[in-house]
Amino acid sequence: MSIRLHGASLRHGQVLALDGIDLCIEAGERVAIIGPSGAGKSSLLHLMASALRPSSGRLELLGEQPWTLSGRARQRLRARVGLVHQAPPLPPRQRVVTAVLAGRLGQWGTLRGLANLICPLDVPGARQALADLGLADKLFVQCGQLSGGQLQRVGIARALYQRPQVLLADEPVSAMDPVLADHSLGLLNRHADVNGVTLVASLHAVELALAHFPRVIGIRDGKVAFDCPADAVTQALLDALYANEQLLAQQPVPGPSLVVQIPRC
Amino acid sequence: MNRAINWLVLLAILAAVVGSFVYLGLDLRALVGNGGLEQMGEYATRFLSPDLSSGHLRAVGHGALETLAMSGLGTLLAMIFGLLLALPAAGRFGWPLQGAARLLLNGLRAIPELVWAALTVLAAGLGPNAGTLALALHTAGVLGRLFAEALENAPPEPAAAIRLQGGSQVAAFCFGTLPNLWPQLLAYSLYRWENNIRMASVLGFVGAGGLGQMLYTTLSLFQESQASTVIVAMLVLVLLVDAASDVMRQRYVRA
Repeated sequence: MSIRLHGASLRHGQVLALDGIDLCIEAGERVAIIGPSGAGKSSLLHLMASALRPSSGRLELLGEQPWTLSGRARQRLRARVGLVHQAPPLPPRQRVVTAVLAGRLGQWGTLRGLANLICPLDVPGARQALADLGLADKLFVQCGQLSGGQLQRVGIARALYQRPQVLLADEPVSAMDPVLADHSLGLLNRHADVNGVTLVASLHAVELALAHFPRVIGIRDGKVAFDCPADAVTQALLDALYANEQLLAQQPVPGPSLVVQIPRC
Repeated sequence: MNRAINWLVLLAILAAVVGSFVYLGLDLRALVGNGGLEQMGEYATRFLSPDLSSGHLRAVGHGALETLAMSGLGTLLAMIFGLLLALPAAGRFGWPLQGAARLLLNGLRAIPELVWAALTVLAAGLGPNAGTLALALHTAGVLGRLFAEALENAPPEPAAAIRLQGGSQVAAFCFGTLPNLWPQLLAYSLYRWENNIRMASVLGFVGAGGLGQMLYTTLSLFQESQASTVIVAMLVLVLLVDAASDVMRQRYVRA
């Protein structure tokens, strides 16, 4: 058992982002989370990563409950869980090699970690992680000089270099072109498959989710809309998942909408 | 109406100026006439021939090095203490320590360098030790405050991401916060170093060593040509430090 949620809810102030989620993800499973914007995909992943504490309900991660552990034990548990951020929060002046090597700060002692700031100790390891994503030439570039898609790949390289047992990815390919997105998701899935890593990724692109992941979970309004194998996802399910009442209610009113203003001077 | 008020303000300023002269007993006629201007000119011309004998030049060089060392060491110590105090002052260790650290920083900063020097001369004796300590104490207050503000404004996400993958607090600070922060810290420190080299040349007036002490001594003994060498040395030192800190800023802060 890798991840288990028992009636987990999450409240941001007045907004109920997640509403009593029950989920069970086995070790080595590969799961895609899809759903409309603002449905709670990101919140769910951050909850699983123990970045956010559930307002009610329970989270079990690798057989332990992170929020009942002591701070030190929780940090040890977190070192076994990797999260790929949608916009990786990397300091603009940090070099890519340092940002990737920072992935193993949880495994390394503080002294060994700090030594990497002065002189990167495992350049071949970082180069390998980046080479898989086609970024080996950017090893010594500052993160601030990279594009959004390149930063996302650095974020993925950092998570892969961490070698976690549970790999969570929050829209990991949202800023990449279709070819790169397909390649990067394929790489994540192969890595998970070969190493027996549990992979959970939230995705905007439904076709990518269906193509790469055996299991797909649909989230809508903070609740699980469906949870089934990828080949059981039907068009009707997807239409219901992404149906948008607000847009339907605001049908564009036909009529003279073009107003040309000519400045008088 | 407006015009009348303007005239009234002008009249009031004029009355204040005249009143100040009368109250202070300044006698412009004695200052300008009666050979006063000539005396001042004479005194000034004695500064135009600096003493360039090798013995005095060596002494001035020694003093300049002392001033440079005082300002450099003082700023370095202030950077260390400032950063140590800035961490609690930015609220990293809870509010009781935050309040205490802020109070301490305000106290250090509120007392000017010259007053600190007068105090440290009593505590550490005459000489560059007192000057270094005085600069370090005041600058620690200034830099600590600036560092704390920079820390508060630094984005928390990179450090939070390191914590989320199991990194320690120290690792999260060094890998997540410092890379964005240190150019700013360096810029503040360089600016304070430029200030301190000027201050270090003055601190000698209360006996805290360096060029200032030489200037004070020579002026008191009416050795104008020696004093003028010291003043030239101060100018050169300030220009050199400004240039050096500018080079470092170009190299590290704006990269």
